Amino acid sequence: MSDFMQRLHDTFIDGARWQYLTDGLKTTLIVTVFAALIGIFLGFLIAIVRSTHDKTGNLKILNAVTKLYLTVIRGTPVVVQLLIIYFVIFGSVKIDKTFVAILSFGLNSAAYVAEIIRSGIMSIDIGQFEAGGSLGLSYSKTMVNIIVPQAFKNVLPALANEFIVLLKETSICGYIALADLTKGGDIIRAATYEAFLPLIAVAIIYLIMVMILTWLVGKLERRLAKNDKR
Amino acid sequence: MISVRNLNKAFGDLHILKDINEEIKKGEKVVIVGPSGSGKSTFLRCLNLLERPTSGEIFFEGTDITKSRTKEINLLREKMGMVFQHFNLFPHLTIRRNITLAPTKLKLMTKEEADKKAAELLEKVGLADKAEQYPAQLSGGQKQRIAIARALAMNPDVMLFDEPTSALDPEMVGEVLNLMKELADDGMTMVVVTHEMGFAKEVASRVLFMDEGIIAEQASPEEFFSNPKSPRLKEFLSKVLI
Repeated sequence: MSDFMQRLHDTFIDGARWQYLTDGLKTTLIVTVFAALIGIFLGFLIAIVRSTHDKTGNLKILNAVTKLYLTVIRGTPVVVQLLIIYFVIFGSVKIDKTFVAILSFGLNSAAYVAEIIRSGIMSIDIGQFEAGGSLGLSYSKTMVNIIVPQAFKNVLPALANEFIVLLKETSICGYIALADLTKGGDIIRAATYEAFLPLIAVAIIYLIMVMILTWLVGKLERRLAKNDKR
Repeated sequence: MISVRNLNKAFGDLHILKDINEEIKKGEKVVIVGPSGSGKSTFLRCLNLLERPTSGEIFFEGTDITKSRTKEINLLREKMGMVFQHFNLFPHLTIRRNITLAPTKLKLMTKEEADKKAAELLEKVGLADKAEQYPAQLSGGQKQRIAIARALAMNPDVMLFDEPTSALDPEMVGEVLNLMKELADDGMTMVVVTHEMGFAKEVASRVLFMDEGIIAEQASPEEFFSNPKSPRLKEFLSKVLI
């Protein structure tokens, strides 16, 4: 037991190496949260363009643009997108790596969020659109007040899943030498020649974050379910 | 109030409405009956442009609405309440919010005015105690009464009913029909697609029989039910009046 405590001490306490994990965790959380915000915002816009086109046949050009976007983003690995954005698009300028990561993961997540939200919108009964329209509400007012709130509730589990995936996907930040949680653990591994402890510690931290996220979404789902009770 | 001229509606090759001409005057209660697939729902849905006519004109309060732009259509729909077969209440909103949503979002009433109006209407439809509940907690008949209240909250000039009792359990049909009768007695202009012949007999000022995309026959309810002219209507009545 004291042998194990010694290893813990040598790995994390010596040289204050635990800070690699806490600093990394901070970076991971910042990247995830802001990427998620971009993903939700852009994803909603894309979803509304796509479903408006599906329902009414309007917005042909915008719809074609979003389809191309979805094809490219979903057809290539996120790590390749990250590398291209960092080394190609911003290759010749000095730029904050955290910003690049947020942008890459945000743009990537938006594609998946868009399809999730669109599936939610398309699942709403046509009668809801007609009821909104028959009361004199415009298409956009019907969308915002009637369709999207119901669609959001229906796709919440799928959205939560997307954000869990996003959180874990940020572990490839190391590819552009951004010191996220995973990279932090790896730095400790390289410095101490101890693989087990830092990597397990990293895994446990991810697991705890995902569990907290799952718990929060569960709470939100129960709150939104209040109108289902009979 | 509503004047329909040479109305045609086709879905692809399927010609649903064929050259329909019809006048609906203020205060009239027009009941439309006919076999399924005869185009009666499509006709009703053309009146507030939920279906866009393929050709023809529909004048509502003097304006040809088939030429209207989207904004004008929304304005015209404020004046035409619609009640659907499947209620189409907004499940994520309370009953009160279902009623007040459109008037407040369209800035026709303040929140206080809308709440007051909602309370009055809930009183009228006999569901004052349900204001804070959600649609899922209501029976079919109650849902349809709320749907009627929701449409009335816009102070419409005419109410369109698209088979309002067809999705209800038999014991709930009466409460909805009674409310519609009250509405008729209040002088509301109504266009009702229904299979309730009793309602047609009692409330209608005119009954239309639609068959294969045309208005095949129309008469006052007494005439319509006691002295049908066309063989097709005779056959239809013999099947529905048991």
